[in-house]
Amino acid sequence: MKRSKSIALVMMGAGSLLLTACEEPTVEARVYDGIGQCLDDPAMDAAACEENFRAAQQQHAAVAPKYNDQAACEADFGADQCEPAPYRTEGGGSVFMPLMMGYMMGSMMGRSSVAAQPLYRSADDPKAYRTADNRNVGAATGKTTVARSAAASPAAKPYTVSRGGFGASARTLGAASG
Amino acid sequence: MQRVRVAEREGWRAIAHEHGFSFHSPEGEPYWDESAYYRFTLKEIEDDLEAPAEELEKLCFAVVERAVADEEVLKRLAIPEPFWDHIAESWRRQDRNLYGRLDFSYGGGGPAKLLEYNADTPTTLYESAVFQWTWLEQAMEQGLIPAGCDQFNSIHERLVHALGRFGIFGTLHLACAGDSAEDRGTVEYIEDCARQAGVDTKFLFMEDIGVDRDGHFTDLDDRLIATLFKLYPWEWIMAEVFGRQVPASGTRFIEPPWKAVLSNKGALALLWEMFEGHPNLLPTYFAEDARAAELGDAYVRKPLLSREGRNIAIVDHGHTTSGLATANDGPYGAEGYVVQALHPLPSFDGNYPMLGCWLVASEAAGLGIREDRTLITTDKARFIPHVILE
Repeated sequence: MKRSKSIALVMMGAGSLLLTACEEPTVEARVYDGIGQCLDDPAMDAAACEENFRAAQQQHAAVAPKYNDQAACEADFGADQCEPAPYRTEGGGSVFMPLMMGYMMGSMMGRSSVAAQPLYRSADDPKAYRTADNRNVGAATGKTTVARSAAASPAAKPYTVSRGGFGASARTLGAASG
Repeated sequence: MQRVRVAEREGWRAIAHEHGFSFHSPEGEPYWDESAYYRFTLKEIEDDLEAPAEELEKLCFAVVERAVADEEVLKRLAIPEPFWDHIAESWRRQDRNLYGRLDFSYGGGGPAKLLEYNADTPTTLYESAVFQWTWLEQAMEQGLIPAGCDQFNSIHERLVHALGRFGIFGTLHLACAGDSAEDRGTVEYIEDCARQAGVDTKFLFMEDIGVDRDGHFTDLDDRLIATLFKLYPWEWIMAEVFGRQVPASGTRFIEPPWKAVLSNKGALALLWEMFEGHPNLLPTYFAEDARAAELGDAYVRKPLLSREGRNIAIVDHGHTTSGLATANDGPYGAEGYVVQALHPLPSFDGNYPMLGCWLVASEAAGLGIREDRTLITTDKARFIPHVILE
């Protein structure tokens, strides 16, 4: 572990907070920058590469972080690293998400605790792969180990289809409190 | 209970600034006023305010219990039908509530009379909990008030404790409307308490809340809003475009939806109907109720939904009003009215104090007094600190 084992913080002068880092259990996984790299891996068979790649690709649009404008997405993932998501806001606006930069899978078909899933790379740490839930799985490709929490299926990410549906009464009636 | 004139602390405006109390003199009008304080005996506080407040809260629970079991009651309160189930579920689930303020007419001697219950969006919280407390400590230190004074005010520690026990997973979002410095100040204070309770927080304005494709509420970073403290009345939420998203949103609200029953002045009529003759209650009826006539020609007419004294009318044919306000302009009243027996605020040197008794997690927690020069307490009222001294 290269980070501190514990950090004491004083918050708002109201006492101290002790943060203790814990070592997480890891699992074996495989990380590839794309289908080609997987097919080139002599330890893998083509069917497993393709099936897991397809599974990751299918999840990409649902689980990738969403943004209502391209600049906000690029601020997190870098210039030209975002694409329009296949969604629209209620007002017809675009939704953006980062490009899928790789995928992760378990070592063996059917018996792995690693969920096949897309991987991304953020602008502030472009070497490392990250899951859609922003878990770092390292820079290595091929056989690797990842934290068990990073191997779980990523959650679908919301995107806002409309805003501003609250506030009308305050504009008409003034202060909300009494 | 006495009103005592006192010297102001030197430089209290700078102290207010230091303590984040930015709305002490909005538009140049003094709001925080430490040129006087109210002095109570411990017995007055404990017997006449603290104990009745906790008892009234229990009676209010009985009102909610009845409302969620009877659609007729919800209809009389003008609560929109799409929210009936949502409110009932939040009550049956026992969604926790954080705070509320019972406003009393009390002048020492005789039972305090409940004028109304700000159950959903009460303010004056920060000045009651923090600035009033600071005043007490410093005024004693500087010899402006006798040593050994106490104050009915454990609001702050109770808020921190209650927020820590809410079981908030992930981030607590907090919101108010974008145009009120006072509301913003109150929310900032709640946020501070939440952080002290170890809860991760994020503020946004009500206007900035979004919904995603599945009808969940989102913040400006498109993160789901799992728990929302909103200083924004339930009746507004229910009437607005996003209101219809609320029941299926999965967001947990503080205050919970069932508070919509109690923040409605119709609850005062229901309290009287169910607990007629209770010493801390005033006879109150829905305006269309035939019994309303029993109040004769001295009563107060209040819209079911209103704040800051707006659209409240005092009808008192027995007395000339001698310059006191009898009706306040305001936009409320469309939903209906209640009429309440006239029980004027006591006068202390021409000032009319309204005693706001704070509840935190339904326990009596403190007192904040607002004083106006008219019988109706408006947004021009000034906050006056208090002490307990035998």
